[in-house]
Amino acid sequence: MDQLVFRFKRYFWLLVLLVILTPQVALAQAANSGFLGGIEAVFQKIVDVLNLFFYFKIGGENGMPLIVLWLISGGIFFTLRLKFINLRAFKHAIDVVRGKYDDPNDEGDVSHFQALAAALSGTVGIGNIAGVAIAIRLGGPGAAFWMTMAGFLGMSSKFAECTLGQKYRIIKPDGTVGGGPMYYLNRGLSAMGMTGLGKALSVIFAVFCAIGSLGIGNMFQANQAFAAVSNVLPFLENYSWLFGIILAAVVGLVIIGGIERIGAVAGVLVPAMAVIYALACFWVILVNITAVPEAIATIIRTAFSPEAVAGGAIGAIVVGFQRAAFSNEAGLGSAAIAHSAARTDEPVREGVVALLEPFIDTIFICNLTAIVIILTGVYADPNSTDLDGAQLSAASFETVISWFPYVIAVAGFLFALSTMISWSYYGQQAWAFLFGDRTVNVYKVIFLLCVFVGTVVNLGPVLDFSDIMALAMSLPNLLGCFLMSGLIARELNDYMSRLKSGAMLTELEKVREPVLK
Amino acid sequence: MSWLKKQSVLIPLDFSELSYEAISPAKEFVAAETSLTLIHVLTPLHPADPAAMWNTLNDHQRKDKVKDFLAQKLGEMGYKEVKIQVAIGDPSTEIIDCAKEIAADLIVLPSHGHKGVSRFLLGSVAERVVRLSPCPVLVLK
Repeated sequence: MDQLVFRFKRYFWLLVLLVILTPQVALAQAANSGFLGGIEAVFQKIVDVLNLFFYFKIGGENGMPLIVLWLISGGIFFTLRLKFINLRAFKHAIDVVRGKYDDPNDEGDVSHFQALAAALSGTVGIGNIAGVAIAIRLGGPGAAFWMTMAGFLGMSSKFAECTLGQKYRIIKPDGTVGGGPMYYLNRGLSAMGMTGLGKALSVIFAVFCAIGSLGIGNMFQANQAFAAVSNVLPFLENYSWLFGIILAAVVGLVIIGGIERIGAVAGVLVPAMAVIYALACFWVILVNITAVPEAIATIIRTAFSPEAVAGGAIGAIVVGFQRAAFSNEAGLGSAAIAHSAARTDEPVREGVVALLEPFIDTIFICNLTAIVIILTGVYADPNSTDLDGAQLSAASFETVISWFPYVIAVAGFLFALSTMISWSYYGQQAWAFLFGDRTVNVYKVIFLLCVFVGTVVNLGPVLDFSDIMALAMSLPNLLGCFLMSGLIARELNDYMSRLKSGAMLTELEKVREPVLK
Repeated sequence: MSWLKKQSVLIPLDFSELSYEAISPAKEFVAAETSLTLIHVLTPLHPADPAAMWNTLNDHQRKDKVKDFLAQKLGEMGYKEVKIQVAIGDPSTEIIDCAKEIAADLIVLPSHGHKGVSRFLLGSVAERVVRLSPCPVLVLK
């Protein structure tokens, strides 16, 4: 009994918070701009301050933000340093995912395919539907070209970070894996004699990741899920707080209540939705097949023409790279947390698998969305200038398949849900790295509050906050990867020479033999 | 003097050096090593952990792995006959439950002296164990 009372006391403050909030939310209904407007104003102030710090622009008002330049340099550097690993390892990546090199005796929790799928459930989010529309709205059709370029270069940065993630992971006594930038920045750099720097970078990363997960993996997803759903259920439009509470409750059931079934259902439905979504894209493209060459020409022409958008070609590049990194997480380091769980003793092998992620996410799915939006021409229609994000994508599909906004609403909701659950895991790992496992419930409560905030606040400040904090993660992560690039290149060369000699497969067969007999 | 000895002593372990150091003072309270029970409390798997997502690692396997790990580690330290328990959940709650279950007449644990944010966020396990324990608690300093 004592224990029950005591347990209750620990959650008492939560109850108090709820009691304080509930009437306010109800009141906000009556005077719409009251409470919710207050949240928005406070949130905007936070974003303004962060902007000052992270969005320092080189070359004046329309210049290149430092942090975007950092991300582009990362992609180009690793593509050149690792001699176009994104091209030359592509076929091997597919072989590995198909299980040709799986060895059940290696340490780790899941197969290469399972690790890739787990990481993809975090990357394939509503950004693939809404993010592309935002990019085209802000940067013109040319932004889609730069997204593709960013996806291509991102394959190399993703390879670098996931190789390191695998190399410096730790297997805990209970068999779970601890991996990701927190570990490789710390352990990798200290192995190179830079203990202090490694420790500092890993802490900085963990702070950015814990906060960043609340943007890219939470508020942005919640915001656009609401946009997609309220698009087909207009009566919800004034009830964003209700949608926010429901969404937070569903996420809460999974991450606090431990109702894994919801997570599992989302895990099954998400790939199905992705396939349905891709098929629908192909259908729209087929219907308008004659206009496809023109659409692709538009994308390429406007990618380089300076008059395309405010900020000219630089504007398109900045927007393209931002949205691509936002969607495929290359350079941010987050996906390395999931990839570290792969069952292998070859770090390079999981890195190779990971480079498929930006390919599937950005070069494939995002491009399909982009072509659909540009083909149907809705983005250029003067009557639809107020459409942005998920609603713009939905309107584009609607021109060909009238009921498709409903599919977007369902797909968007599920994509957002699975991405939020995955990111809560990344954020929780970062939090646990900073404050220990015992306090993760505090993080989970903050996470759920942000689901609510993300739903009720407008897209503008949510996007700004999410962008800044997501790209901020690339500062410590890529810096560490640059410093360890020599090591990555050595590991890669060693792996490739063993792969070419054919020794790898025969070695595997030798190990497998006793199992077969 | 054996009537002064305790029958059942519980020692929570969190894999830190400090927690292993609690074993030796605890041993002074009992007649035999078999009266010592060591417990480690695991946090539940996050549903998005790849191992949970693909169901390749369940709670039962995690407990077994920790038991094996501790048995080996403690064996190397010279404690071959201690009992090992592994639970999953909130540390203080599980420790108290275990103490009741094994009818412990003493709990020995180190105080970590967490400072700053994590101290503020959740207080300490030691503190809560002291408050809720059914038996005397020895907090090492």
